[in-house]
Amino acid sequence: MLTHRASGVINFAHAALGMYVAYAYYKLRQTGELVLPILGLPDRVKIVDAPTVFTAMSVAVALSAVLGLLVYLLVFRWLRTAPALARVVASLGLLLYFVAIVKLRFDRSAGQLPLGAILPAGSVTVSGVAVPYNRLILAAIALAVATVLAVVFKFTRFGMATRAAAENEKGALIVGHSPDKLAVVNWTVASVLAGVSVIFIASVTKQLDPLSTSLLVVPALAAVLVGGLRSFFVTSFAALTIGMLQAGLLNYSTRSTWIPSWLPRSGLNHALPFLVIVIALTVRGASLPGRHEIRESRLPFSPRPRHVVPVTVVGVGLTAAGLLTLDSQWRLAIVVSLIASLIALSSVVLTGYVGQISLAQYAFAGLAGFVTAKLTEARGIPFPWAPLIAVALTTLCGVLVGLPAARVRGLVLAVVTVGAAVAIENLAFKSEALGGLGRVQIDRPELFGLDLGFSAKGADNFRAEFGIFVLIVVACSFIAIANLRRSPTGLRWLAVRANERAAAACGINVTSMKLEAFAVSSMLAGMGGVLLAYRGSLAPESFAVFGALALLAVTYLGGIASITGALLAGVLFSGGILTHVSGGTTGGTSDTAFAVSGLALVIAAVRTPDGVVGFFRRRGAGAGMRLRARAATGDGDSSAMAGSVEAR
Amino acid sequence: MSTLLELRGVETGYHGVPVVHDLDLTVGEGEVVALLGANGAGKTTVLNTIAGLVPRTGGSLSVLGAPVSSRQRGAQRRTLDVVRRGVGYVPEDRALFYDLTAIENVRLAAARRDRAAVAAALDLFPALAPLTGRAAGLLSGGEQQMLAVARALAARPRLLMIDEMSLGLAPIIAERLLASIRKIADDTGTGILLVEQQVGAVLRVADRAYLLRRGRVVVEGRAADLRARPDLLASSYLGSG
Repeated sequence: MLTHRASGVINFAHAALGMYVAYAYYKLRQTGELVLPILGLPDRVKIVDAPTVFTAMSVAVALSAVLGLLVYLLVFRWLRTAPALARVVASLGLLLYFVAIVKLRFDRSAGQLPLGAILPAGSVTVSGVAVPYNRLILAAIALAVATVLAVVFKFTRFGMATRAAAENEKGALIVGHSPDKLAVVNWTVASVLAGVSVIFIASVTKQLDPLSTSLLVVPALAAVLVGGLRSFFVTSFAALTIGMLQAGLLNYSTRSTWIPSWLPRSGLNHALPFLVIVIALTVRGASLPGRHEIRESRLPFSPRPRHVVPVTVVGVGLTAAGLLTLDSQWRLAIVVSLIASLIALSSVVLTGYVGQISLAQYAFAGLAGFVTAKLTEARGIPFPWAPLIAVALTTLCGVLVGLPAARVRGLVLAVVTVGAAVAIENLAFKSEALGGLGRVQIDRPELFGLDLGFSAKGADNFRAEFGIFVLIVVACSFIAIANLRRSPTGLRWLAVRANERAAAACGINVTSMKLEAFAVSSMLAGMGGVLLAYRGSLAPESFAVFGALALLAVTYLGGIASITGALLAGVLFSGGILTHVSGGTTGGTSDTAFAVSGLALVIAAVRTPDGVVGFFRRRGAGAGMRLRARAATGDGDSSAMAGSVEAR
Repeated sequence: MSTLLELRGVETGYHGVPVVHDLDLTVGEGEVVALLGANGAGKTTVLNTIAGLVPRTGGSLSVLGAPVSSRQRGAQRRTLDVVRRGVGYVPEDRALFYDLTAIENVRLAAARRDRAAVAAALDLFPALAPLTGRAAGLLSGGEQQMLAVARALAARPRLLMIDEMSLGLAPIIAERLLASIRKIADDTGTGILLVEQQVGAVLRVADRAYLLRRGRVVVEGRAADLRARPDLLASSYLGSG
């Protein structure tokens, strides 16, 4: 939250940074070595032989301060005026990086790190329930920190200036306050808080894990939303309440009998933040942004699709030829790319065209996949009907998530959808009604007696028939979206993206436009999910939140606002054509690759908001503009001016 | 009378496209100077360039007698440098802090513990007196405009630039405000550079005026002389001749 105040960033990597610092702290306590997080530098340096809690803590504080500073100066400083999406993507890149680097540089086998107690043990009994001292102390520390921050922000000049600079940088500049310096201080403090709190949390809960600790950011952001991004008190109370409810729910759901058996017991507490987010937004959100909330920033360029028919004919022809002639590994890569591009297309519609940042697309895909599997397996509903029902259900689900989302925008929406993705993952995928925790097999699809199954024996595996079927579905979807983009609906979507108030003033129903987009995009994601399901078996992990982050990341790299970008995203997606060409094995990616792709994502977010597609397009357009300007002003001749206007 | 602001042959533009050409402009101590011109003439760009928000591509700029280097990279550094020398700026969009209260807005601009400057700036706008505790975002457009001017004045600027001060203000309030700005210039020796569309009103209080057209100064002279030549102004604004 402090970072949001300082530079308008909701940092999804905040808990990940803390997680890294906590790992470093416990490693330091164990061996006296400091593990460095930067690729290319030596792994670790020896600091002292047997560090005390105090030395280790000081080093950890210094480490988190330096990391926070680096993250700000190298990444977010350049993104202060960038669209919300670029900031989300950059923080996702950092998240991937920290997770990967921890996996690379720490041996994570259980019991390796001494998650020793820092706070005194023992407990006190409150109305029959034993409450450990360390938790009480932790809660007290949290509240004390919140109090100090609240006082500083309310009454000091520094706090006032930070609030001012977060809101209007130009304003801060012209009254003589440097937004940069304010941001540096705030980022440093925020990072230290993240580092120290994860150390304490790990010492109390005896749990530290790259993935789940990094995802602590979801309940934390839920609390921040309850606090309305402003109040430190409300935020920390909300955080404490969510934490207690989660723990209570976990405890309760394993013992109670009234919770229906199809609900996964371990999932309920993970779904709680989403519930909190939804309630907070329903109470706080507004259907249109206030007058000072509209930020001037360039949105990713969304080109009007041209030459749809010839491009489709050539593309489909080439892909079909590839499917029919190349070997089975190639066929698999092409199919993975096609399906990924379909899910990426759903992001393009929602995020690129309507400006709603959604991290739940992958979860929607998973939902459709699991429902299809269940319908064919348990209910015996045959091929074309089961997936159609599943897609319809997913569409409905998308609209349901879209309902609270219609009242928010930008970064806040990203938080909502992350919450939704975590909730779907934990409630639906792990539910016994859908799949339970194991893998789910699905019947072979068959249409008019034609076997469309993917798997086969030997070299025939990954059959071309299925590939062609996927190709037809994907091509039809892309053509439909291209036409939608060129239709009046597409224009209305872009209008909503550009300025909701202006769009409403032109008679566009902003809410229904957003819901339409949520429907279309979750339908596309659902279709992708169904195809994934028919490709092979399903497991809850295949649709985990990190997959969603990776997918949004490649879509952003490809170009979030154009259908060409979605195609590129498919090619780039792990396991797709690029992986195959570059010789990688399909399936798991190594942690080094994750670290590098995290970095690549950060760089992409900083350098080009339009992705690869936009980068090349802009090169052409920029040169043209300068040429025209030179022609127009070179001799001040008004006819040249007229010419340049016409040329445009 | 010493020169507070001096531009010599200044060129500036956006993304390599020039907007302002070969601009010479000065503002002296206690002087009120009007910058006039049709929409798109480059008036706001001139102010943004002086404030450092837009980089200068050529020419020299000196503020309060000291040259401002054009080599400084980044709007932040340039603007902070100019502002800390004593330049106040009220931009066209006002750039208020809507979440802060009116009084907090003004206090942030004033030097630490300079309560007198805050009080003096607010005294100019009696309409703001009952509203100081209210969030700036909840003020009306006109009240926000007054607050923006008050905020700029609280820093006790030696040179004050105001873009479209009369925007959104009732004509009578705008005239009153122009009169008080004249008085500030006379009393404190602050130099004032006004971009204004209310040509008649601003020429009544200004000492001198520049008329911009397509980024070039086409007319420059004493405000009284310009007032006597409405044909010149009309042709520039309406685009004939």
